[in-house]
Amino acid sequence: MVRLSDLHPVEAEHLSMRALAMPAVGPGEWITPRPLDQATVAIVSTAGLHRRIDPPFTVGSLDYRLIPGDTEFDDLVLSHISANFDRSAFGEDPNIVFPIDRLREFASSGEIGGVARWHYSFMGAMPDPSQFEKAGEEIGRLMAQDGVDIAFLVPI
Amino acid sequence: MSEAVVPPRALWVPFPLGRPLGVVDDSEFQKSVMRTAFGLLDTATEPTIEDYEIQAPGEGLSENWSCPLNLSTESSGSLTDRLLAEVALLRPWAIETRRQRGRTLFGASGAGEDQVDELARAFASIAETGEVTSAPVVVDVAWAFDMPLLARHIADDLRSFYHEALAAQPGDTAPNHDALNRWIFGETVLGEALLLVADGLTKASDLPMAQLVRGLLIPEGHYRGGSAFPEETNFPINPGT
Repeated sequence: MVRLSDLHPVEAEHLSMRALAMPAVGPGEWITPRPLDQATVAIVSTAGLHRRIDPPFTVGSLDYRLIPGDTEFDDLVLSHISANFDRSAFGEDPNIVFPIDRLREFASSGEIGGVARWHYSFMGAMPDPSQFEKAGEEIGRLMAQDGVDIAFLVPI
Repeated sequence: MSEAVVPPRALWVPFPLGRPLGVVDDSEFQKSVMRTAFGLLDTATEPTIEDYEIQAPGEGLSENWSCPLNLSTESSGSLTDRLLAEVALLRPWAIETRRQRGRTLFGASGAGEDQVDELARAFASIAETGEVTSAPVVVDVAWAFDMPLLARHIADDLRSFYHEALAAQPGDTAPNHDALNRWIFGETVLGEALLLVADGLTKASDLPMAQLVRGLLIPEGHYRGGSAFPEETNFPINPGT
């Protein structure tokens, strides 16, 4: 996450106010997963990322999109509503937001046990993250059925 | 925000919004960030937020960026004509970037990858007429959004097209987010159209969402020198969608 001092002053003030008003959510149950070199890892993005065939995210979206692990980068688009982050980096190298190639490399070198079959994307910019509880529990069940040990959350 | 959510293990990174792993096309840098995050699995015994101290090299390279293209078009034409002329000047470069990458970000609005002119015409129409309630009718385009939210996604597609055109310029000249916005709002017809659409949204005071969409259309600092978001922060949202 960027430093507030590196943002436009208006954006920094806006985010500071949002952070102060954000209701506390955690902490959740403490879980120690299996060792990393035996663990299956899934990506959870809040970049509003989805396949072109999927319905786009909109303001206040609380649902999620599935991203199959073999999705090609040319099939991915962003429908995140914010105008205040740099989309050009994703255009140049999608791994900077959705590091699926990096996970594959870690799996090949044995640093992680494997890459999940499915990954997940949400719409960020939600002032009350507790509203994601239902969808969060749902993808938790899906990840458990997919044999996922570690969820690697990548905010935009 | 991480302090409010209290994730079990979090790595704070000093990178700009939109670049959570720091550096494009640098797999070792990206993997270093990920390894540090994964390392918390071994070291953290309670909810932990750790700082990642390594800066992204080249992060500020685009601070003094200026566009190498001369985009000056006939200033007496209609906004539609001038925007189409600007798009035409950028098109060969955008095509080159798509060829090199084999992909494009263009199309989230519902437009096809080759419908840039159609999108430019539609956006100029919204800007010139101030019509922010009904979607512009464009043959062969199935919009993915309703108005007024559609307007900001058309704008995003056009911004992606412009940036893809700039990314093809010789040398390390692609602008970062700040430089791109300074250029768009300071030197392009697209910037002029964006501000006109924002004004149309301002005038639609009886339309739910219009003022919010204005804030989602114009980056902070570029609407009359300040924020395009309304002062009222209790935005109307549609949680069911």
